[in-house]
Amino acid sequence: MRAVVAIMFLLASGMCIVGTGMAQTGGQETPCMQCHKPTDITIDPARFAQSEHGGFDCTFCHTTGFSKFPHTSTRAEMRDCMDCHKERKLARIAQAVKASVHAKKATKAFRCTNCHSPHYFIPASRIKDVSEEILLANESCLGCHAKGDTLADKDIDLAKKHDYLFHAELHLARTACVACHTSPEEQTMHLILPKSGAVRDCTTCHAQNSMLATKLYAHLALKERAQQGFVNAILFNNAYLVGANRNSWLDWGALALLGLLLFGVAAHGLGRWVFAGFRRRRS
Amino acid sequence: MRRDFGPYPLWLRCWHWGNVLLFVILLITGFSMHFSSLAPPPVTFRTVVLVHNTAGILLTLFYCFFLFGNLLFGNARYYLITADDIAPGMLRQASYYLWGIFLGYPHPYPHDPHNEERKFNPMQKMSYLTVMFLLFPMLIVTGWALLFPYLLPNQLFGMPGIASWAVVHTYTGYCIFLFMIVHTYLGTTGATPGQLFGFMWSGVSPEPASTLRTPDSGERAGSHAQVTAQKDRP
Repeated sequence: MRAVVAIMFLLASGMCIVGTGMAQTGGQETPCMQCHKPTDITIDPARFAQSEHGGFDCTFCHTTGFSKFPHTSTRAEMRDCMDCHKERKLARIAQAVKASVHAKKATKAFRCTNCHSPHYFIPASRIKDVSEEILLANESCLGCHAKGDTLADKDIDLAKKHDYLFHAELHLARTACVACHTSPEEQTMHLILPKSGAVRDCTTCHAQNSMLATKLYAHLALKERAQQGFVNAILFNNAYLVGANRNSWLDWGALALLGLLLFGVAAHGLGRWVFAGFRRRRS
Repeated sequence: MRRDFGPYPLWLRCWHWGNVLLFVILLITGFSMHFSSLAPPPVTFRTVVLVHNTAGILLTLFYCFFLFGNLLFGNARYYLITADDIAPGMLRQASYYLWGIFLGYPHPYPHDPHNEERKFNPMQKMSYLTVMFLLFPMLIVTGWALLFPYLLPNQLFGMPGIASWAVVHTYTGYCIFLFMIVHTYLGTTGATPGQLFGFMWSGVSPEPASTLRTPDSGERAGSHAQVTAQKDRP
Protein backbone atom coordinates (compact mmCIF):
# COMPACT_ATOMS: atom_id res chain seq x y z
CA MET A 1 0.00 0.00 0.00
CA ARG A 2 2.79 2.37 0.91
CA ALA A 3 4.48 1.59 -2.38
CA VAL A 4 1.31 2.44 -4.35
CA VAL A 5 0.95 5.75 -2.48
CA ALA A 6 4.60 6.55 -3.10
CA ILE A 7 4.22 5.85 -6.84
CA MET A 8 1.04 7.98 -7.07
CA PHE A 9 2.80 10.79 -5.21
CA LEU A 10 5.75 10.67 -7.58
CA LEU A 11 3.50 10.64 -10.66
CA ALA A 12 1.44 13.54 -9.35
CA SER A 13 4.51 15.61 -8.53
CA GLY A 14 5.98 14.85 -11.99
CA MET A 15 2.77 16.00 -13.71
CA CYS A 16 2.84 19.13 -11.63
CA ILE A 17 6.37 19.90 -12.74
CA VAL A 18 5.53 19.34 -16.42
CA GLY A 19 2.26 21.20 -16.04
CA THR A 20 4.02 24.17 -14.52
CA GLY A 21 6.76 24.06 -17.12
CA MET A 22 4.42 23.91 -20.07
CA ALA A 23 2.11 26.58 -18.75
CA GLN A 24 1.73 29.53 -21.09
CA THR A 25 3.32 32.65 -19.68
CA GLY A 26 0.30 34.55 -21.01
CA GLY A 27 2.27 37.75 -21.38
CA GLN A 28 2.79 37.95 -17.64
CA GLU A 29 6.25 38.54 -16.33
CA THR A 30 7.72 35.34 -14.97
CA PRO A 31 9.64 35.44 -11.67
CA CYS A 32 12.87 35.04 -13.64
CA MET A 33 12.24 38.22 -15.60
CA GLN A 34 12.01 40.26 -12.43
CA CYS A 35 15.80 40.07 -12.31
CA HIS A 36 16.61 39.21 -15.94
CA LYS A 37 15.32 42.48 -17.39
CA PRO A 38 15.53 42.61 -21.19
CA THR A 39 18.85 44.09 -22.18
CA ASP A 40 21.19 43.49 -25.05
CA ILE A 41 22.87 40.61 -23.26
CA THR A 42 19.83 38.74 -22.02
CA ILE A 43 17.05 37.00 -23.88
CA ASP A 44 14.85 39.18 -26.08
CA PRO A 45 11.37 38.44 -24.66
CA ALA A 46 9.61 39.45 -27.89
CA ARG A 47 11.68 37.05 -30.00
CA PHE A 48 11.37 34.37 -27.36
CA ALA A 49 7.60 34.69 -27.40
CA GLN A 50 7.62 34.17 -31.19
CA SER A 51 9.86 31.13 -30.97
CA GLU A 52 8.74 27.51 -30.84
CA HIS A 53 9.54 27.39 -27.13
CA GLY A 54 7.90 30.73 -26.41
CA GLY A 55 5.04 29.08 -24.55
CA PHE A 56 7.28 27.48 -21.97
CA ASP A 57 8.24 28.88 -18.63
CA CYS A 58 11.98 29.42 -18.10
CA THR A 59 12.09 26.76 -15.41
CA PHE A 60 10.87 24.11 -17.81
CA CYS A 61 14.43 23.86 -19.13
CA HIS A 62 16.31 25.67 -16.38
CA THR A 63 15.11 23.07 -13.92
CA THR A 64 17.05 23.04 -10.65
CA GLY A 65 19.11 25.48 -8.64
CA PHE A 66 17.37 28.63 -9.86
CA SER A 67 15.22 29.32 -6.82
CA LYS A 68 18.07 30.96 -4.92
CA PHE A 69 20.61 33.58 -5.81
CA PRO A 70 23.36 33.03 -6.78
CA HIS A 71 22.02 30.13 -8.85
CA THR A 72 23.74 26.88 -8.17
CA SER A 73 22.66 25.09 -11.33
CA THR A 74 25.17 23.71 -13.77
CA ARG A 75 24.48 23.06 -17.42
CA ALA A 76 24.49 19.34 -16.79
CA GLU A 77 21.50 19.80 -14.54
CA MET A 78 19.48 21.57 -17.21
CA ARG A 79 16.96 19.77 -19.36
CA ASP A 80 18.54 18.57 -22.59
CA CYS A 81 16.88 18.88 -26.02
CA MET A 82 16.84 15.13 -26.40
CA ASP A 83 14.80 14.78 -23.20
CA CYS A 84 11.77 15.98 -25.16
CA HIS A 85 12.76 15.59 -28.83
CA LYS A 86 12.97 11.87 -29.21
CA GLU A 87 11.65 11.49 -32.76
CA ARG A 88 13.37 9.07 -35.12
CA LYS A 89 14.47 11.95 -37.39
CA LEU A 90 16.44 13.46 -34.55
CA ALA A 91 18.34 10.21 -34.13
CA ARG A 92 19.53 10.62 -37.74
CA ILE A 93 20.43 14.23 -37.03
CA ALA A 94 22.37 13.20 -33.93
CA GLN A 95 24.26 10.66 -36.04
CA ALA A 96 25.08 13.34 -38.64
CA VAL A 97 26.27 15.78 -35.98
CA LYS A 98 28.59 13.12 -34.53
CA ALA A 99 30.16 12.69 -37.98
CA SER A 100 30.36 16.44 -38.59
CA VAL A 101 33.43 18.62 -38.23
CA HIS A 102 31.77 20.35 -35.29
CA ALA A 103 31.69 17.19 -33.19
CA LYS A 104 35.16 16.18 -34.26
CA LYS A 105 36.83 19.52 -33.58
CA ALA A 106 34.83 20.86 -30.64
CA THR A 107 36.73 20.67 -27.39
CA LYS A 108 33.56 20.31 -25.31
CA ALA A 109 30.58 18.15 -26.12
CA PHE A 110 28.85 19.72 -29.09
CA ARG A 111 25.19 20.34 -28.27
CA CYS A 112 22.13 21.25 -30.34
CA THR A 113 22.02 24.60 -28.60
CA ASN A 114 25.43 25.55 -29.97
CA CYS A 115 23.67 26.26 -33.26
CA HIS A 116 19.93 26.22 -32.51
CA SER A 117 19.12 28.86 -29.95
CA PRO A 118 16.46 27.30 -27.75
CA HIS A 119 15.12 30.78 -27.04
CA TYR A 120 14.63 31.86 -30.64
CA PHE A 121 14.25 28.60 -32.56
CA ILE A 122 11.52 28.60 -35.20
CA PRO A 123 10.78 25.32 -36.98
CA ALA A 124 11.06 25.22 -40.77
CA SER A 125 7.33 24.55 -41.10
CA ARG A 126 6.60 28.03 -39.73
CA ILE A 127 9.00 29.86 -42.03
CA LYS A 128 7.28 31.58 -44.91
CA ASP A 129 10.07 32.32 -47.34
CA VAL A 130 13.65 31.53 -48.20
CA SER A 131 15.05 34.92 -47.12
CA GLU A 132 13.71 34.45 -43.60
CA GLU A 133 15.09 30.93 -43.39
CA ILE A 134 18.54 32.01 -44.57
CA LEU A 135 18.65 34.86 -42.07
CA LEU A 136 17.78 32.57 -39.17
CA ALA A 137 20.03 29.72 -40.30
CA ASN A 138 23.08 31.89 -40.93
CA GLU A 139 22.67 33.77 -37.67
CA SER A 140 23.77 30.71 -35.73
CA CYS A 141 26.82 30.13 -37.98
CA LEU A 142 27.96 33.74 -37.93
CA GLY A 143 27.99 33.80 -34.14
CA CYS A 144 31.25 31.81 -34.25
CA HIS A 145 32.45 31.83 -37.85
CA ALA A 146 33.09 35.46 -38.71
CA LYS A 147 35.54 37.95 -37.33
CA GLY A 148 34.45 41.45 -36.54
CA ASP A 149 32.34 43.31 -34.04
CA THR A 150 29.76 44.62 -36.44
CA LEU A 151 27.77 42.83 -39.10
CA ALA A 152 29.56 44.89 -41.77
CA ASP A 153 32.97 43.77 -40.45
CA LYS A 154 31.79 40.18 -40.46
CA ASP A 155 30.57 40.56 -44.05
CA ILE A 156 33.99 41.82 -45.16
CA ASP A 157 35.74 38.97 -43.37
CA LEU A 158 33.42 36.37 -44.90
CA ALA A 159 33.68 37.87 -48.39
CA LYS A 160 37.47 37.51 -48.17
CA LYS A 161 37.13 33.87 -47.15
CA HIS A 162 34.75 33.17 -50.03
CA ASP A 163 36.47 35.17 -52.77
CA TYR A 164 36.54 32.13 -55.08
CA LEU A 165 32.82 32.70 -55.63
CA PHE A 166 31.54 35.10 -58.29
CA HIS A 167 29.82 37.96 -56.44
CA ALA A 168 30.76 36.55 -53.03
CA GLU A 169 28.70 39.16 -51.16
CA LEU A 170 25.54 38.16 -53.01
CA HIS A 171 26.15 34.47 -52.45
CA LEU A 172 26.74 35.07 -48.74
CA ALA A 173 23.71 37.29 -48.30
CA ARG A 174 21.32 35.06 -50.21
CA THR A 175 22.51 31.54 -49.45
CA ALA A 176 22.42 29.49 -46.29
CA CYS A 177 25.93 28.57 -45.14
CA VAL A 178 24.84 24.93 -44.90
CA ALA A 179 24.02 24.90 -48.62
CA CYS A 180 27.73 24.51 -49.40
CA HIS A 181 29.09 23.44 -46.04
CA THR A 182 27.14 20.18 -45.75
CA SER A 183 27.35 17.02 -47.79
CA PRO A 184 24.90 17.26 -50.76
CA GLU A 185 24.08 13.56 -50.40
CA GLU A 186 23.17 13.84 -46.73
CA GLN A 187 19.55 14.84 -46.14
CA THR A 188 19.54 16.19 -42.58
CA MET A 189 21.80 19.19 -43.35
CA HIS A 190 23.64 18.50 -40.09
CA LEU A 191 26.73 16.80 -41.45
CA ILE A 192 28.82 19.96 -41.50
CA LEU A 193 31.93 19.39 -43.58
CA PRO A 194 35.42 20.76 -42.94
CA LYS A 195 36.40 23.77 -45.05
CA SER A 196 38.26 21.55 -47.51
CA GLY A 197 35.12 19.49 -48.10
CA ALA A 198 32.80 22.40 -48.86
CA VAL A 199 30.79 22.08 -52.07
CA ARG A 200 32.53 23.91 -54.90
CA ASP A 201 30.57 22.50 -57.81
CA CYS A 202 28.32 25.42 -58.79
CA THR A 203 25.82 23.11 -60.50
CA THR A 204 24.85 21.65 -57.14
CA CYS A 205 22.62 24.72 -56.90
CA HIS A 206 22.80 26.26 -60.38
CA ALA A 207 20.85 23.50 -62.09
CA GLN A 208 17.28 22.47 -62.69
CA ASN A 209 17.57 19.79 -59.99
CA SER A 210 19.05 22.42 -57.71
CA MET A 211 19.87 21.05 -54.29
CA LEU A 212 18.40 24.25 -52.85
CA ALA A 213 14.93 23.34 -54.09
CA THR A 214 15.13 19.58 -53.72
CA LYS A 215 16.71 19.51 -50.29
CA LEU A 216 17.38 22.73 -48.46
CA TYR A 217 14.08 24.49 -49.19
CA ALA A 218 12.09 21.38 -50.14
CA HIS A 219 9.54 22.14 -47.44
CA LEU A 220 8.98 25.59 -48.98
CA ALA A 221 9.01 24.25 -52.54
CA LEU A 222 6.05 22.06 -51.68
CA LYS A 223 4.10 25.16 -50.76
CA GLU A 224 4.86 27.00 -53.99
CA ARG A 225 5.48 24.85 -57.06
CA ALA A 226 5.54 27.36 -59.86
CA GLN A 227 5.51 31.07 -60.38
CA GLN A 228 5.04 32.56 -63.84
CA GLY A 229 6.41 29.38 -65.42
CA PHE A 230 9.80 29.53 -63.74
CA VAL A 231 11.46 26.29 -62.72
CA ASN A 232 12.33 26.20 -58.99
CA ALA A 233 10.26 29.34 -58.48
CA ILE A 234 10.57 29.01 -54.73
CA LEU A 235 14.11 30.35 -55.00
CA PHE A 236 12.54 33.52 -56.43
CA ASN A 237 11.66 34.50 -52.89
CA ASN A 238 15.26 35.33 -52.49
CA ALA A 239 17.31 35.32 -55.68
CA TYR A 240 17.61 34.36 -59.33
CA LEU A 241 19.93 31.47 -60.05
CA VAL A 242 21.14 31.04 -63.60
CA GLY A 243 20.66 27.39 -64.56
CA ALA A 244 18.12 26.79 -61.79
CA ASN A 245 15.45 29.34 -62.65
CA ARG A 246 14.69 28.68 -66.29
CA ASN A 247 11.28 29.73 -67.56
CA SER A 248 9.78 26.64 -69.14
CA TRP A 249 7.15 28.60 -71.15
CA LEU A 250 9.80 30.79 -72.74
CA ASP A 251 12.07 27.80 -73.35
CA TRP A 252 9.37 25.80 -75.11
CA GLY A 253 8.41 28.88 -77.15
CA ALA A 254 12.05 29.41 -78.11
CA LEU A 255 12.41 25.77 -79.11
CA ALA A 256 9.23 25.93 -81.22
CA LEU A 257 10.51 29.08 -82.93
CA LEU A 258 13.85 27.42 -83.66
CA GLY A 259 12.07 24.36 -85.07
CA LEU A 260 9.90 26.51 -87.35
CA LEU A 261 12.89 28.52 -88.49
CA LEU A 262 15.01 25.46 -89.27
CA PHE A 263 12.07 23.88 -91.09
CA GLY A 264 11.56 27.07 -93.12
CA VAL A 265 15.24 27.37 -93.98
CA ALA A 266 15.49 23.68 -94.93
CA ALA A 267 12.34 23.85 -97.07
CA HIS A 268 13.55 27.05 -98.78
CA GLY A 269 16.96 25.54 -99.48
CA LEU A 270 15.43 22.34 -100.80
CA GLY A 271 13.07 24.36 -103.00
CA ARG A 272 15.98 26.32 -104.45
CA TRP A 273 17.86 23.12 -105.21
CA VAL A 274 14.85 21.41 -106.85
CA PHE A 275 13.92 24.46 -108.95
CA ALA A 276 17.53 24.98 -110.00
CA GLY A 277 17.52 21.37 -111.23
CA PHE A 278 14.36 22.00 -113.26
CA ARG A 279 15.86 25.12 -114.77
CA ARG A 280 19.07 23.32 -115.70
CA ARG A 281 17.14 20.53 -117.45
CA ARG A 282 14.95 23.03 -119.35
CA SER A 283 17.94 25.02 -120.57
CA MET B 1 42.41 41.62 -107.03
CA ARG B 2 42.41 42.22 -103.24
CA ARG B 3 40.46 45.19 -102.03
CA ASP B 4 41.12 46.60 -98.57
CA PHE B 5 38.67 49.37 -99.27
CA GLY B 6 35.26 49.29 -100.91
CA PRO B 7 32.13 47.82 -99.34
CA TYR B 8 33.90 45.26 -97.13
CA PRO B 9 37.26 46.69 -96.08
CA LEU B 10 39.68 44.92 -93.77
CA TRP B 11 38.48 46.58 -90.53
CA LEU B 12 34.90 45.55 -91.23
CA ARG B 13 35.82 41.97 -92.05
CA CYS B 14 37.97 41.74 -88.90
CA TRP B 15 35.06 43.02 -86.84
CA HIS B 16 32.60 40.68 -88.57
CA TRP B 17 34.55 37.46 -88.06
CA GLY B 18 35.69 38.46 -84.56
CA ASN B 19 32.08 39.16 -83.72
CA VAL B 20 31.08 35.76 -85.11
CA LEU B 21 33.72 33.98 -83.03
CA LEU B 22 32.80 35.82 -79.83
CA PHE B 23 29.08 35.35 -80.37
CA VAL B 24 29.47 31.62 -80.97
CA ILE B 25 31.50 31.35 -77.75
CA LEU B 26 28.82 33.33 -75.94
CA LEU B 27 26.09 31.12 -77.39
CA ILE B 28 27.77 27.88 -76.36
CA THR B 29 28.63 29.10 -72.87
CA GLY B 30 25.22 30.78 -72.52
CA PHE B 31 23.38 27.55 -73.44
CA SER B 32 25.68 25.64 -71.09
CA MET B 33 24.77 27.95 -68.20
CA HIS B 34 21.05 28.01 -69.04
CA PHE B 35 20.75 24.21 -69.37
CA SER B 36 23.40 23.37 -66.79
CA SER B 37 21.60 20.25 -65.61
CA LEU B 38 20.85 18.67 -68.98
CA ALA B 39 24.40 17.59 -69.71
CA PRO B 40 27.33 18.24 -67.40
CA PRO B 41 29.75 20.32 -69.42
CA PRO B 42 33.28 19.02 -69.89
CA VAL B 43 34.50 22.19 -68.21
CA THR B 44 33.22 23.46 -64.89
CA PHE B 45 30.34 25.89 -64.52
CA ARG B 46 32.75 28.39 -63.01
CA THR B 47 35.01 28.24 -66.08
CA VAL B 48 31.99 28.56 -68.36
CA VAL B 49 30.88 31.71 -66.52
CA LEU B 50 34.41 33.11 -66.67
CA VAL B 51 34.66 32.50 -70.43
CA HIS B 52 31.16 33.93 -70.99
CA ASN B 53 31.97 37.09 -69.03
CA THR B 54 35.30 37.57 -70.82
CA ALA B 55 33.77 37.01 -74.26
CA GLY B 56 30.95 39.41 -73.36
CA ILE B 57 33.40 42.17 -72.43
CA LEU B 58 35.34 41.58 -75.65
CA LEU B 59 32.08 41.65 -77.63
CA THR B 60 31.35 45.07 -76.14
CA LEU B 61 34.78 46.31 -77.26
CA PHE B 62 34.14 44.89 -80.72
CA TYR B 63 30.75 46.62 -80.79
CA CYS B 64 32.40 49.94 -79.93
CA PHE B 65 34.94 49.24 -82.69
CA PHE B 66 32.03 48.62 -85.07
CA LEU B 67 30.35 51.90 -84.12
CA PHE B 68 33.55 53.96 -84.46
CA GLY B 69 34.46 52.19 -87.70
CA ASN B 70 31.08 53.03 -89.14
CA LEU B 71 31.44 56.68 -88.26
CA LEU B 72 35.11 57.02 -89.22
CA PHE B 73 35.12 55.10 -92.49
CA GLY B 74 31.72 56.12 -93.79
CA ASN B 75 30.13 52.68 -93.54
CA ALA B 76 27.22 54.23 -91.61
CA ARG B 77 25.73 55.59 -94.83
CA TYR B 78 24.74 52.07 -95.89
CA TYR B 79 22.41 51.84 -92.90
CA LEU B 80 20.43 55.01 -93.73
CA ILE B 81 16.86 54.15 -94.66
CA THR B 82 15.69 55.61 -97.95
CA ALA B 83 12.11 56.05 -99.15
CA ASP B 84 12.67 53.18 -101.56
CA ASP B 85 13.57 50.75 -98.78
CA ILE B 86 10.18 50.57 -97.08
CA ALA B 87 7.29 50.28 -99.51
CA PRO B 88 8.61 48.90 -102.77
CA GLY B 89 11.98 47.73 -101.47
CA MET B 90 10.93 45.35 -98.70
CA LEU B 91 8.08 43.93 -100.80
CA ARG B 92 10.32 43.50 -103.83
CA GLN B 93 12.94 41.69 -101.76
CA ALA B 94 10.37 39.55 -99.94
CA SER B 95 8.74 38.52 -103.21
CA TYR B 96 12.18 37.60 -104.54
CA TYR B 97 12.84 35.33 -101.54
CA LEU B 98 9.33 33.86 -101.71
CA TRP B 99 9.25 32.91 -105.39
CA GLY B 100 11.69 34.88 -107.57
CA ILE B 101 14.68 32.99 -106.21
CA PHE B 102 13.06 29.66 -107.17
CA LEU B 103 12.23 30.80 -110.69
CA GLY B 104 15.70 32.18 -111.34
CA TYR B 105 14.72 35.85 -111.45
CA PRO B 106 17.59 38.28 -111.05
CA HIS B 107 18.26 39.67 -107.59
CA PRO B 108 16.27 42.90 -107.23
CA TYR B 109 19.26 44.54 -105.56
CA PRO B 110 22.31 42.84 -107.05
CA HIS B 111 25.65 43.38 -105.43
CA ASP B 112 27.51 46.24 -106.99
CA PRO B 113 30.90 47.06 -105.44
CA HIS B 114 30.86 50.45 -107.20
CA ASN B 115 27.53 51.56 -105.76
CA GLU B 116 28.47 54.14 -103.12
CA GLU B 117 24.94 54.41 -101.76
CA ARG B 118 23.71 50.86 -101.43
CA LYS B 119 25.40 47.78 -100.10
CA PHE B 120 22.45 46.01 -98.49
CA ASN B 121 19.10 45.04 -99.91
CA PRO B 122 16.17 46.60 -97.98
CA MET B 123 15.42 43.49 -95.90
CA GLN B 124 19.09 43.11 -95.12
CA LYS B 125 19.28 46.74 -94.06
CA MET B 126 16.21 46.48 -91.79
CA SER B 127 17.40 43.26 -90.15
CA TYR B 128 20.94 44.61 -89.63
CA LEU B 129 19.52 47.83 -88.17
CA THR B 130 17.36 45.81 -85.77
CA VAL B 131 20.16 43.47 -84.76
CA MET B 132 23.03 45.94 -84.54
CA PHE B 133 21.20 48.96 -83.14
CA LEU B 134 18.46 47.38 -81.04
CA LEU B 135 19.25 43.78 -80.08
CA PHE B 136 23.00 44.14 -79.61
CA PRO B 137 22.71 47.21 -77.34
CA MET B 138 20.01 45.37 -75.33
CA LEU B 139 22.25 42.33 -75.05
CA ILE B 140 25.27 44.38 -74.03
CA VAL B 141 23.46 46.59 -71.51
CA THR B 142 21.74 43.65 -69.81
CA GLY B 143 24.98 41.66 -69.91
CA TRP B 144 26.88 44.43 -68.15
CA ALA B 145 24.08 44.80 -65.63
CA LEU B 146 24.44 41.11 -64.81
CA LEU B 147 28.17 41.60 -64.23
CA PHE B 148 27.18 43.87 -61.32
CA PRO B 149 24.08 42.12 -59.95
CA TYR B 150 24.31 43.74 -56.52
CA LEU B 151 23.52 47.10 -58.14
CA LEU B 152 20.22 45.80 -59.55
CA PRO B 153 16.93 46.36 -57.71
CA ASN B 154 15.82 43.55 -55.42
CA GLN B 155 12.42 43.28 -57.08
CA LEU B 156 11.25 44.18 -60.58
CA PHE B 157 7.94 43.16 -62.20
CA GLY B 158 7.23 40.81 -59.30
CA MET B 159 10.46 38.91 -59.82
CA PRO B 160 13.93 39.28 -58.31
CA GLY B 161 15.60 42.21 -60.08
CA ILE B 162 18.32 39.99 -61.47
CA ALA B 163 15.72 37.69 -63.04
CA SER B 164 14.16 40.46 -65.14
CA TRP B 165 17.55 41.43 -66.59
CA ALA B 166 18.59 37.81 -67.06
CA VAL B 167 15.41 36.94 -68.96
CA VAL B 168 15.83 39.89 -71.34
CA HIS B 169 19.54 39.07 -71.76
CA THR B 170 18.94 35.38 -72.45
CA TYR B 171 16.16 35.77 -74.99
CA THR B 172 17.74 38.76 -76.75
CA GLY B 173 20.81 36.56 -77.26
CA TYR B 174 18.50 33.83 -78.51
CA CYS B 175 16.89 36.19 -81.05
CA ILE B 176 20.34 37.06 -82.36
CA PHE B 177 21.07 33.32 -82.59
CA LEU B 178 17.94 32.91 -84.76
CA PHE B 179 19.10 35.86 -86.87
CA MET B 180 22.49 34.15 -87.30
CA ILE B 181 20.82 31.04 -88.70
CA VAL B 182 18.89 33.03 -91.29
CA HIS B 183 21.90 35.27 -91.98
CA THR B 184 24.10 32.22 -92.61
CA TYR B 185 21.47 30.60 -94.82
CA LEU B 186 20.97 33.74 -96.92
CA GLY B 187 24.76 33.85 -97.27
CA THR B 188 24.34 30.86 -99.56
CA THR B 189 22.18 32.80 -102.03
CA GLY B 190 25.10 34.15 -104.07
CA ALA B 191 26.00 32.89 -107.54
CA THR B 192 27.40 29.82 -105.77
CA PRO B 193 26.62 28.79 -102.16
CA GLY B 194 30.10 29.77 -100.98
CA GLN B 195 30.57 32.94 -103.02
CA LEU B 196 29.32 35.45 -100.46
CA PHE B 197 31.22 33.78 -97.60
CA GLY B 198 34.42 34.02 -99.65
CA PHE B 199 33.66 37.65 -100.35
CA MET B 200 33.15 38.42 -96.65
CA TRP B 201 36.35 36.56 -95.79
CA SER B 202 38.66 37.98 -98.46
CA GLY B 203 37.00 41.25 -99.37
CA VAL B 204 37.43 40.33 -103.03
CA SER B 205 34.27 41.37 -104.85
CA PRO B 206 32.37 38.63 -106.63
CA GLU B 207 31.74 39.12 -110.31
CA PRO B 208 28.69 41.30 -110.80
CA ALA B 209 25.49 39.32 -111.27
CA SER B 210 24.96 38.18 -114.83
CA THR B 211 22.22 39.84 -116.73
CA LEU B 212 19.29 37.53 -116.34
CA ARG B 213 15.98 38.14 -117.99
CA THR B 214 12.96 38.85 -115.87
CA PRO B 215 9.71 37.20 -116.99
CA ASP B 216 8.22 40.41 -118.26
CA SER B 217 11.08 42.76 -118.99
CA GLY B 218 14.41 42.80 -120.63
CA GLU B 219 17.77 43.33 -119.00
CA ARG B 220 17.79 45.04 -115.64
CA ALA B 221 19.31 48.46 -115.65
CA GLY B 222 21.27 47.72 -112.48
CA SER B 223 22.75 44.55 -113.87
CA HIS B 224 23.58 46.28 -117.07
CA ALA B 225 25.34 49.02 -115.20
CA GLN B 226 27.43 46.42 -113.42
CA VAL B 227 28.51 44.79 -116.66
CA THR B 228 29.53 48.19 -118.00
CA ALA B 229 31.46 48.95 -114.84
CA GLN B 230 33.19 45.59 -115.05
CA LYS B 231 34.30 46.29 -118.59
CA ASP B 232 35.61 49.70 -117.62
CA ARG B 233 37.74 48.35 -114.77
CA PRO B 234 41.47 48.35 -115.30
